[in-house]
Amino acid sequence: MKLKEEVKILLFFKEDEMKQIEKRSNRGISGPEWKRRGFIFVFLFPTLLAFCTFYLYPLLTVFFTSFAKWDYSNLTSPEFWGWTNLFNNYQYIFETYPYFWEALRNSVTWALLGIFVQIPISTLIALAFSRKMRGIKLIRNIYIIPCMISSAALGIIFLQLYSPTYGIINPIIHLFNPSFSENILLMKGPAFWAMTGAYIFFTGTTTLMILGNIMAVPEEVREAALLDGASGFVQDFYITIPMIKNTLKTVSILSATAGFLLYNEVYFLTKGAAGTYSISYVIRELAITSPRAQFGRANSVAFLQIIAGMLIIVFVNLIYELPEICSKLRRDRT
Amino acid sequence: MKRITAMSLALVTALGLAGCGNAEKPSSEAEGQAEVLEFYHGYYHEESEWPAAKVMRDIYDDFAKNYPDSSVTFKPIPVENRDDVVNAQVAGGSFPDMIDMYSPAPKSAISQGLVLDLKPYIDENNLQDAIGINYTQNQRDGAIYNIHEQVEARGLWTNVDILKSVGATVDDLSTWKGFADTMAKVSALGNGTYGYAAGQGSLKMMYAYLASSEEGRAITDVPLDEAAINSKAFEEAFKALAKMDQTNGAEYTTADVGNLMADFNQHGKAAVISNGAWNASGISQELADVVQPILFPENVSLSTAGNGLAVASGMSEAKTKMALEFIKYMTSPEIQERIFLEVQGVPSNTTLDLKALAEKNGDPVIIKMAEACSMIQNADIVSSDASYKWGTDVGNAITNALMECANKSTDIDARFAQLQKELIALIG
Amino acid sequence: MKQKFRTLNQLPLGTRIITYFCLGWALLVSLTPIVWLFLSSLKEDPLARPGFQLPESIHLEGYISTFRDLHVMRYFGNSMLISIVSVVISIVMISMSAYVVARMEFKGKRLVNVMLATTLFIPATALTYPVYNLVNQLGIYNTRAALILIYSCSGIAVSFFVIKNYYDHIPKEMEDAARIDGCGYFQTFWHVIFPMARPGIMTAGVLAFLNNWNEYYWASLVIIDRDKLTVPALLSTFTTAFRTNYNGLFSAMVIIILPPILLYCIFNKFFIEALSGGAVKG
Repeated sequence: MKLKEEVKILLFFKEDEMKQIEKRSNRGISGPEWKRRGFIFVFLFPTLLAFCTFYLYPLLTVFFTSFAKWDYSNLTSPEFWGWTNLFNNYQYIFETYPYFWEALRNSVTWALLGIFVQIPISTLIALAFSRKMRGIKLIRNIYIIPCMISSAALGIIFLQLYSPTYGIINPIIHLFNPSFSENILLMKGPAFWAMTGAYIFFTGTTTLMILGNIMAVPEEVREAALLDGASGFVQDFYITIPMIKNTLKTVSILSATAGFLLYNEVYFLTKGAAGTYSISYVIRELAITSPRAQFGRANSVAFLQIIAGMLIIVFVNLIYELPEICSKLRRDRT
Repeated sequence: MKRITAMSLALVTALGLAGCGNAEKPSSEAEGQAEVLEFYHGYYHEESEWPAAKVMRDIYDDFAKNYPDSSVTFKPIPVENRDDVVNAQVAGGSFPDMIDMYSPAPKSAISQGLVLDLKPYIDENNLQDAIGINYTQNQRDGAIYNIHEQVEARGLWTNVDILKSVGATVDDLSTWKGFADTMAKVSALGNGTYGYAAGQGSLKMMYAYLASSEEGRAITDVPLDEAAINSKAFEEAFKALAKMDQTNGAEYTTADVGNLMADFNQHGKAAVISNGAWNASGISQELADVVQPILFPENVSLSTAGNGLAVASGMSEAKTKMALEFIKYMTSPEIQERIFLEVQGVPSNTTLDLKALAEKNGDPVIIKMAEACSMIQNADIVSSDASYKWGTDVGNAITNALMECANKSTDIDARFAQLQKELIALIG
Repeated sequence: MKQKFRTLNQLPLGTRIITYFCLGWALLVSLTPIVWLFLSSLKEDPLARPGFQLPESIHLEGYISTFRDLHVMRYFGNSMLISIVSVVISIVMISMSAYVVARMEFKGKRLVNVMLATTLFIPATALTYPVYNLVNQLGIYNTRAALILIYSCSGIAVSFFVIKNYYDHIPKEMEDAARIDGCGYFQTFWHVIFPMARPGIMTAGVLAFLNNWNEYYWASLVIIDRDKLTVPALLSTFTTAFRTNYNGLFSAMVIIILPPILLYCIFNKFFIEALSGGAVKG
């Protein structure tokens, strides 16, 4: 308990000090204002250019045509639904289209699993990887290899692994239930988890990023903790993890996003059978697979995807701010 | 600062939008020189992987070499992702000069008038027999936009040894009831042998099932509508197949029949496979004597023109002429013979005597394929693969529903009710 | 002194057990697909001898034909060129803008953040037509330049998050010191910040490289000449309308991941080791 307090004080001190320095440097030492502006402009320009040439037009198209009739019959001239029928596409998606809610539920679940399952797993493994022992470098290198296989290729591999006739999953199930002869990819419920299992454990790149940050935690901080007798995972929990919070937030956003946008796994494993549609899959199905090229409707889903995606980022930020807000409140009280 | 930001934003936006305006076709037609007719096709495979792809490319090159008018050059280009390329071009208001399509010429391209109606040319040159079933199946509102020089001719293939082991013969498979009973018996053998590869195959069988009744045929020949989805025939066909698939077992259900083809063709583990005439080339030597082509129950076959060649409208006269000549060339008896013998594709040209060709050739694979083709052509009912009429999304939805039904825990009635809802929404 | 904190046998028993468990799990998870893939690539018919059974005999046909008939080196060359050039472009671009956003105050900072975040969620279907048109307008359809352009612009959000996160860890004092020494903004960035952030920038680079290396949707859309295509094109050649050659397919998959593995092994000391060496201290 004592340790906890001390560490907190140490961290808060650091934080406050940093903030002060920040303020000082923003005003004090900077050169002439025009130089600063020029620098900002020059450094931002390439990225803004890339954004505007590449994303701006699609982004605006997605937004505006989500309120338009736009399909095979008027492909070159999307037609605004008019104010009274403004939400026609959305209405179709919400009320008629059979896969939207299922897809939304799945995609959001995958996003949450990214935050609450993938990140803890990657953190634990990264911590294990940060210990000094023989062969650890080899294991680190092996762990990243599956991330080099494209998700399309992994999809093909897992399709084989899950196959009831020549896969490895059914023999394992047979150990517990000898009469099982179903295809788990076709069973509502298990199919979703089978698909999840096909990607969720490959956290090589996330682990790499977390590990990089763990290694950069200064030894002095650890030393202080050691004097209090904390070591191993206890030390990690109180010292290391708070220090790498920002990195955890970043990788949480990346994992949540990747889960939310899952597409290749759906395409290769089930094509949406057994309740496994994802939002990205729905968009492609509406726009490309449907012979009616329903771009307007696809774009209304796309717009929802963008909004939901942004909400997920906000949500992740909130989660990581939460302890800080709580402890701040507590500090104010005392 | 604000002004700079605003100005830079405006600048890059202008740049960006300029890039996004209406583009023209990727023009390799350099200034004023000989015109080029670009032809996109899907035979990109290396010869070592698929020799037939090389034969097709040779056929195209021969045309290019022998074309008399030197002011136009024929340039065949193998393209893997044809459909996406076409979709992207159509969205921008253009169409490839000529393309061998995998999916039908998009409605959006036709509604923009980008695709040439080939019917006048066919009628003028009396090519009706050369293009065969394309003439009827690919007519949309009196126009023909696609001509496929190869036909997708489907029936079943069966392993008579396995049938014998359950005391059945080919005749038992001539009714749907007999078919279901025989498959159930095979499944009951319990020695790793099973009835048929369900999934993709079941969808084709469901179309055949529909085709075996008058009401069913009325449904498969036209785009799907709500009445059809709610009809008795549709329900009966789906449930019959779903029940058979469930007995057959979820292990033997696949969205891509290619995954289970070896079980039938090489390992002799399946009694039946639902596949086209071309399956002849996959059968191993040891099984050649016991595997034979049959029709779907009730003497039904599925013969579909598919999609195939489409030509852009509004090209120069010389290019249009070349494209039309090419279609004539591809459906001519000489080339059709090559396609049959070397590519092992089913020719569209109905004037060819496949049996005689096969016997002259002597290759047992070709003979078997000719046998399958003639059975399919002479079936009592020659229907077509309804996916082309109904759309791929509808086909996917039905396949997914059928595949889920293969699991014993799935309630077929409930799944069918859900499918009806899905389909009504999809066509809306 | 330094070693002590991470040397395993000096840690509490509980920690040691959890560590071994994590390492075991990491090996299990990563080896399952790799070993399975490798074994399958040696089998004549992977479907006939499924699972983790050893092959009856080593069947190298897939590897041989991939190298002999399928122009592997040509695909490797294209992929290397395209991936590396676009990684360099996008990473330089993003490390500049991420620096400005992480370290300087200006109006519209929030907007830049939001803009970049939205790019994560714009679906490829919405991008397809405008980008296809752009490529045609620029006259680079069916050239490697088209892919370089697309790859440089796609995935910028991920690089942005990763690199910005790294800048956040660099203490302000470093910059201030440089500024006091009379460095201009650009010099501070180039001589102080960029070198210090190198491990983070390289991590972003690795992620971008892997994405570009495996990307195929855009490649098959804007490049139609096969001799300009990238490595994923190898995979499709094993699937014809009639069958899939799994032995060849799996062999090609193994071959495709070899170059990234090699590159990673060569360069990995530049990030993990650079990081643990204490290049950055907070």
